[in-house]
Amino acid sequence: MPSPKRHIWVFGDYRNYFQNRVTLQLLSRARDLAPAIGAEVAAVIVGHDLDEYVGEYIAHGAQTVYVLDDPALKDYNIERYAEITARLSKRYAPEIILVGATVFGREFAPFLAKRLKTGLTADCIDLNINEKGLLVQTAPAFGGNLIADIVTPNARPQMATVRPGTFQEIPHDDSATGRVVRLPLPGDLPHPRVRLIRSRRLPQRAQRLEEAAVVICGGRGMGSKTKFKKLFELARLMEGEVGATRPVVHANWAGHDALVGQAGRHVRPRVLLSFGISGAIQHTAALANADFIIAFNKNPHATMMKLADVAVVADANQVCSALIRALKGRIRE
Amino acid sequence: MLKIIVCMKQVPMVSELPWDARTGTLKRELADGMMNPACKHALEAALQLKHGIGAQITAITMGPPAAREILHEAIAMGADRGVLLSDPRMAGADTYVTSDTLARAIGRVCPDFDLVMCGCHTTDSETAQVGPQLSETLDIPGAAYVEHLEIDGRTLRMQREADDFLETLEMDLPGLVTVTTRAYTPRYVAMSGLQDAFGEVDIETLGCEDLGLDPHAAGMKASPTRILDVYSAVAQKENLVLKGSPKKVVDELFERFGDRIGGAMGKDLTPHDHPLERGRKKDA
Amino acid sequence: MDFNPCLKHKLVRKSVREFAEAEIAPLVYDLDREARFPWEIIEKMRPLNFFGLQIPRAYGGAGIDTISYAVAIEELSRVSAALGLCVTVHNSVGAYPIVRFGTDAQKKRFLPALASGERIGAFCLTEANAGSDAGGVETFAQQEGDSYVINGTKIFVTNGGVCGTALVFAVTHPEDPRRRAGVFIVEKDTPGFSVGEIEDLCGMRANPVSSLFFEDCRVPGTHLLGRSGDGIKIGLAALDTGRIGIAAQALGIAQAAFEASVRYAKERQQFGKPIAAFQTIQNYLADMATEIDAGRLLLYRACARKDAGKPFGPEAAKAKLYCSRLSTRVADQAVQIHGGYGYSKEYDVERYYRDAKVTEIYEGTSEVQRMVISRAVLSQPA
Repeated sequence: MPSPKRHIWVFGDYRNYFQNRVTLQLLSRARDLAPAIGAEVAAVIVGHDLDEYVGEYIAHGAQTVYVLDDPALKDYNIERYAEITARLSKRYAPEIILVGATVFGREFAPFLAKRLKTGLTADCIDLNINEKGLLVQTAPAFGGNLIADIVTPNARPQMATVRPGTFQEIPHDDSATGRVVRLPLPGDLPHPRVRLIRSRRLPQRAQRLEEAAVVICGGRGMGSKTKFKKLFELARLMEGEVGATRPVVHANWAGHDALVGQAGRHVRPRVLLSFGISGAIQHTAALANADFIIAFNKNPHATMMKLADVAVVADANQVCSALIRALKGRIRE
Repeated sequence: MLKIIVCMKQVPMVSELPWDARTGTLKRELADGMMNPACKHALEAALQLKHGIGAQITAITMGPPAAREILHEAIAMGADRGVLLSDPRMAGADTYVTSDTLARAIGRVCPDFDLVMCGCHTTDSETAQVGPQLSETLDIPGAAYVEHLEIDGRTLRMQREADDFLETLEMDLPGLVTVTTRAYTPRYVAMSGLQDAFGEVDIETLGCEDLGLDPHAAGMKASPTRILDVYSAVAQKENLVLKGSPKKVVDELFERFGDRIGGAMGKDLTPHDHPLERGRKKDA
Repeated sequence: MDFNPCLKHKLVRKSVREFAEAEIAPLVYDLDREARFPWEIIEKMRPLNFFGLQIPRAYGGAGIDTISYAVAIEELSRVSAALGLCVTVHNSVGAYPIVRFGTDAQKKRFLPALASGERIGAFCLTEANAGSDAGGVETFAQQEGDSYVINGTKIFVTNGGVCGTALVFAVTHPEDPRRRAGVFIVEKDTPGFSVGEIEDLCGMRANPVSSLFFEDCRVPGTHLLGRSGDGIKIGLAALDTGRIGIAAQALGIAQAAFEASVRYAKERQQFGKPIAAFQTIQNYLADMATEIDAGRLLLYRACARKDAGKPFGPEAAKAKLYCSRLSTRVADQAVQIHGGYGYSKEYDVERYYRDAKVTEIYEGTSEVQRMVISRAVLSQPA
């Protein structure tokens, strides 16, 4: 029976559970938003052997968990998951569906939104409810240099994918309780047209610049090739990756692989350290998705310093050495 | 012969962007356009299929009349024909309506297609949604973020990385893939290709009427999402300025942002060289 | 009259720029420093038809229009003037004379390898006692039955160290001043052909400019371009197109120097503000922008006339004269704007400064351009 109460749904993306906390983060945000529209928060989880996750979702804020647990759903399959979720959505008519912007989520959500004939905003970095009770979906637009507030005024549900790490999860609470609604596998579920032939967990691979949580970018202001090498030491300490501007790559201080810029790699670290970079648009266009930028530059007027959350006026090379010393003192093994 | 459709978008060339440093806003309308990088990778994947097993490639784009440029570029690279969907009433479409319009155009210009290829995301809106939504609209199987693909008869086999998994997928044609920028490094445009691309080329421009598309079902008006506001990301920054000796600024940095930096590193950076603390640990 | 670049020329510019910035730019500094010719880049340029820009499709070229050609040279030179030089000399004076004056058999025999870049072209006119004065050539071609035996030394041959096919001016009719020289197509594997030392030049250092020696170098009569006394006619025609290429090259250098200056002027702070805020610097930049624009219009007009099949010699000379002069002025100004840094090898403007100067010298000095232009001026009825 459709519940008369409004619902905010969070789709349970549990693959890589220990690294991927986005579902829990969304449950937390959904709980924050729910009172404004008099809603309750539900998780939807589809797959097999899910009991552990059901418990986790309740412990992290889900008031209801819709569970479809069946061996036939063991493999992550976008078509089947989307079909099931679409049917549930039509039945329960949630006001909002939130999906984590994992690779899975960013493919799954567009299918689902289209099937539900509703709007979808990608990769949000904030969610709020406005005075009209609409979900304001804040998303980076235009390579992240601009930010757009987007709403879905009429179509329902309102849907968004949200970048992992955007919100804080509610701490695990064993005493939390929630309703668990177990649903049967529909008999008429179509066969998936995209067949999974093989799936294997990738071995611990070399971290990619694009995916690194800590990125250290260096520019000509580092002074020389030898001095630039310090950034690699800093990166080792911080378990980050080194990026470079075009002049640095041209001068052969770093390889072309390290080029961060419009024509190179786009990064999205949680912390970006920028050393001796003036901030030409060709470079900064690729930084827009960095969560927190600390720039080091002698020149306080450099564009990069204006873009930074923290602008440190200092010689890039000297401050890099100071950072390395300080980190060696602070890191606990 | 395999019929491939490559959907592509013209995006502003960031390096050319008139950028107002004071307000931090982009004057988008003055920007020069370019073929979205991921779309170029998708085209390259299509070209490699063409050279391998033979294919006819149709490049489709939706945009202002100036977007015609990327169709010439696609033809210069080796596409066979171009289709420009251009109509002021199509402007401002979100991904939902864009995928509707593209689906209709595909039905009009190449209904017997075998494979639709898109870039996995654009550098302007970065939604990565049009590809999957187009496959949903065309009611064909679709897979996103594909890095490698090969065709065996009517079967398309793909590889992709998704959330730390390496997946091998298969689908029967017709189908749709979106291609990442990790593989299929696009070729450079040859000068002879450019010469050809401005000779007698097959580029048609279609508007709502040509597609039999109700103008009310196109563009911004028909889109389920609405943009309330767009503002500069730069203006959001607090921009705290630290000055002083390297040691002093580094200490201050850790004092104020140590949690944040440590959090990103997955490490605790609170000072641990304090003798008292060391003593306490031993006791514990 | 339409002053907007058409879509085609816009796309040519973008495409060449994309290639040059990604593939050439990272090496430019080292190439200049080491005076090294980058075969690895040439390999990448070959399939893109840079060596067949002005060669017809039938012979494997791109057959592209002359404005596109100029834009391509401009963009290559904006990143590497030395490579721009290689390509323009190859196309305009290495291959174009064969396109224009060659027999069908010669075109079939020589153009495909030039168009593909398998053989790089060179143009051998200058000698110790002859430059723009083609009549003063001393290298001699002695007819012996069906072949010619060439003896002599050519100097300052652009692409000399790497050329596969050279067009050589040699005396065929010593007694007839108007039909004194002929032009021979000589391939580098011909016995008696050898390459001298690479010149140690101020700029364009990645281009192996060298002397070429011909010692009893026997070529078949079928390698004579045009008729045996056509040397001056062919030389003048080649230099007319050559000037378009050099003007484009000079413009590319100026453009690079200008862009570097604008960037630097916005970044460099003095007295608490970017130097771009000072009127003197603003004036410099305004003059640079104006001259570059003016040069570009002169150049494209000459190209358009060539494509329209109209005489374009004086127009090309004006473009070459003006663009090469503006190039040295702009590069000089760019160094000035950069101050001490501009004089350091750490910044590219120092290289632009060295590269620009020779554009006023080769393929006809500025003085020779003025001669060509004034001749056209004075031949007009008053």
